[in-house]
Amino acid sequence: MNASLLCLALSASYAGMLALCLGTERHWKQLAAAAPPSLRAWCRPLGVLLLLLALLLSLQIWPASMALVGWLGMLSLCGLVLLLLLPYAPRLALGLPLLGVLLAPVFMSG
Amino acid sequence: MSRQPSLTQSMSGLHTWTGLVLGWLLFAIFLTGTLAVFDRELNWWMQPELQDRQVDQASAVQVAQRWLEANHPAASAWNIGLPTARDPSLSVSAGEQRRGQRTLIDAESGEQITPRETAGGSFFFRFHYTLHMPRFLGIWVVGFAAMAMLVAIISGIIIHKKIFKDFFTFRPGKGQRSWLDGHNASAVLLLPFHLMITYTGLVIFFLIYMPAATDALYNGDRDALLRELRPGAQQQQGAARGGEGGRPSREVPAASAAMLPLEQFIALGEAHYGAGMLSSLSVAQPGRVNARVEVRPLLGSRLELTKGEALAFNAITGELLRAPPPTRTSLLVQKVMAGLHFAQFGGYPMRWLYFLCGLVSSAMIASGLVLYTVKRRRQSAAQGVWLRQVEWLNLACVGGLMLACVALLWANRLLPADLAEREGWELRVFFGAWLAALLHARLRAPLRGWLEQLAASAVLLLGLPLLDLQTALAVPDRIRLGVDLTGFGLGALLALAAWKVSKRPAATARAARRAPAVMAEVQS
Repeated sequence: MNASLLCLALSASYAGMLALCLGTERHWKQLAAAAPPSLRAWCRPLGVLLLLLALLLSLQIWPASMALVGWLGMLSLCGLVLLLLLPYAPRLALGLPLLGVLLAPVFMSG
Repeated sequence: MSRQPSLTQSMSGLHTWTGLVLGWLLFAIFLTGTLAVFDRELNWWMQPELQDRQVDQASAVQVAQRWLEANHPAASAWNIGLPTARDPSLSVSAGEQRRGQRTLIDAESGEQITPRETAGGSFFFRFHYTLHMPRFLGIWVVGFAAMAMLVAIISGIIIHKKIFKDFFTFRPGKGQRSWLDGHNASAVLLLPFHLMITYTGLVIFFLIYMPAATDALYNGDRDALLRELRPGAQQQQGAARGGEGGRPSREVPAASAAMLPLEQFIALGEAHYGAGMLSSLSVAQPGRVNARVEVRPLLGSRLELTKGEALAFNAITGELLRAPPPTRTSLLVQKVMAGLHFAQFGGYPMRWLYFLCGLVSSAMIASGLVLYTVKRRRQSAAQGVWLRQVEWLNLACVGGLMLACVALLWANRLLPADLAEREGWELRVFFGAWLAALLHARLRAPLRGWLEQLAASAVLLLGLPLLDLQTALAVPDRIRLGVDLTGFGLGALLALAAWKVSKRPAATARAARRAPAVMAEVQS
């Protein structure tokens, strides 16, 4: 249960950072040049929402004070993973949150 | 026009020099601190004679009680270190807690075990805040480095021109540009962690670093200050010694009485602190009418560092004698900060977050050190001598320390288990390996040296699981397997780094041939 929550929280933090990243012109051009440009404006609000979702999920894992620490740690590390994936494996950078969400039920059963 | 440097220029100079001079120290502090996140696990790995019996605390207490009754029936106190998730060993001692020698016993059979002496993962923990110097000197040097870290963080923020624009920017394969990107991104993305860990690190030793208030208000009497901060503490200590005035009542033993089974107190303690949250249990005056049981929690049941806290029961009736008093706000702030630094809360997910963040911090410091040389190498050849000094010191402090840390783990398994002063020999291997790396760094051409030291650490780390399988007495348990695999993973990372270095043309034959020329340049 805890592992699947952690998986979801990590996915949400990563997806949030990814959305914030897509909100910038440079990375939008790099990753989503084919998509309609009007969508870019939605990226930042979506990112903020996803990060809040990650906070809610980490509140399910830890008591409130610890959840805040854990949430900040997850955001930072997910941002770093995204940063490293962008130049080397941009498609994986886009697809990683899906993988996390798919993995979560696996841990649930275990 | 005045020729005063602008704010950015002066901050840039400040950042460069604090970062360079104290960066060598800071890397050592951050890397050993990161390893100390798993200090108990490393301790366990380094004593392969111990085995995880997977017994619960209640049955372990029974085993311990039987052993103590058989070996120390008349002791003034019994102390039992309970098996926990991070450290499944069962330890017992009799008499005053601080002085008593711990004996390890098998949690199933109750037989005494004598594991090898080892510096253990605790060495990394002590090195992290004392640098293996005399305690107070080390604490001051580390405190100074932490202040420098804060200076470097703040000045770094000021000189970073495009924090938000470059938030996710990393352009590999472009020399200085890539190093700067990597240094910036790892610093900015983990800024909350860097600030938190550095600041809370300073707060832990607030009494040492800022003694003025204690000196003025309590005439330098730190005990008086602590008494006022913790009104319950004195009463606690007096009671623990089993006498009214805090004196041990050894002369007149009280009448004997039958105690409740000790495992009952595990349940009582867990009701207060939560399941699996107890670390030890002690009995004062065991088997007497005034017998008391104290159960102590693990450090991590709350954010606050709960060190020294205990729940006391009457051992005959099971009545709760004293619950820990709530902490005063002023002390609570300090304890929460210390708790944030020690990371004993939140279980393994939190421990891993701290470990990974610590690794990134160490890498951030190392990248700053390398960035300095990369930048200077481009700027001018006139600073050849100075640059060469920085280059080998960088390698000795970064590559050399990593090699020394792995060497410690190998020494732990390869030195004979019954060697006299074994702990000292392990440390000699650690510092010897570091010294050898330093000499090596001094003699080799920079990139060649990096390649060789990174590769050596990588090979030793990749071989860690094999070493464990070859030298351990039993199949690796959960904890040892975790250490093996983590070591293997880190080894793979270092191998990748070594491979990257080797792809640089200067790292291979050409540099090797040029090495004598560089040396000649240094000596001229």
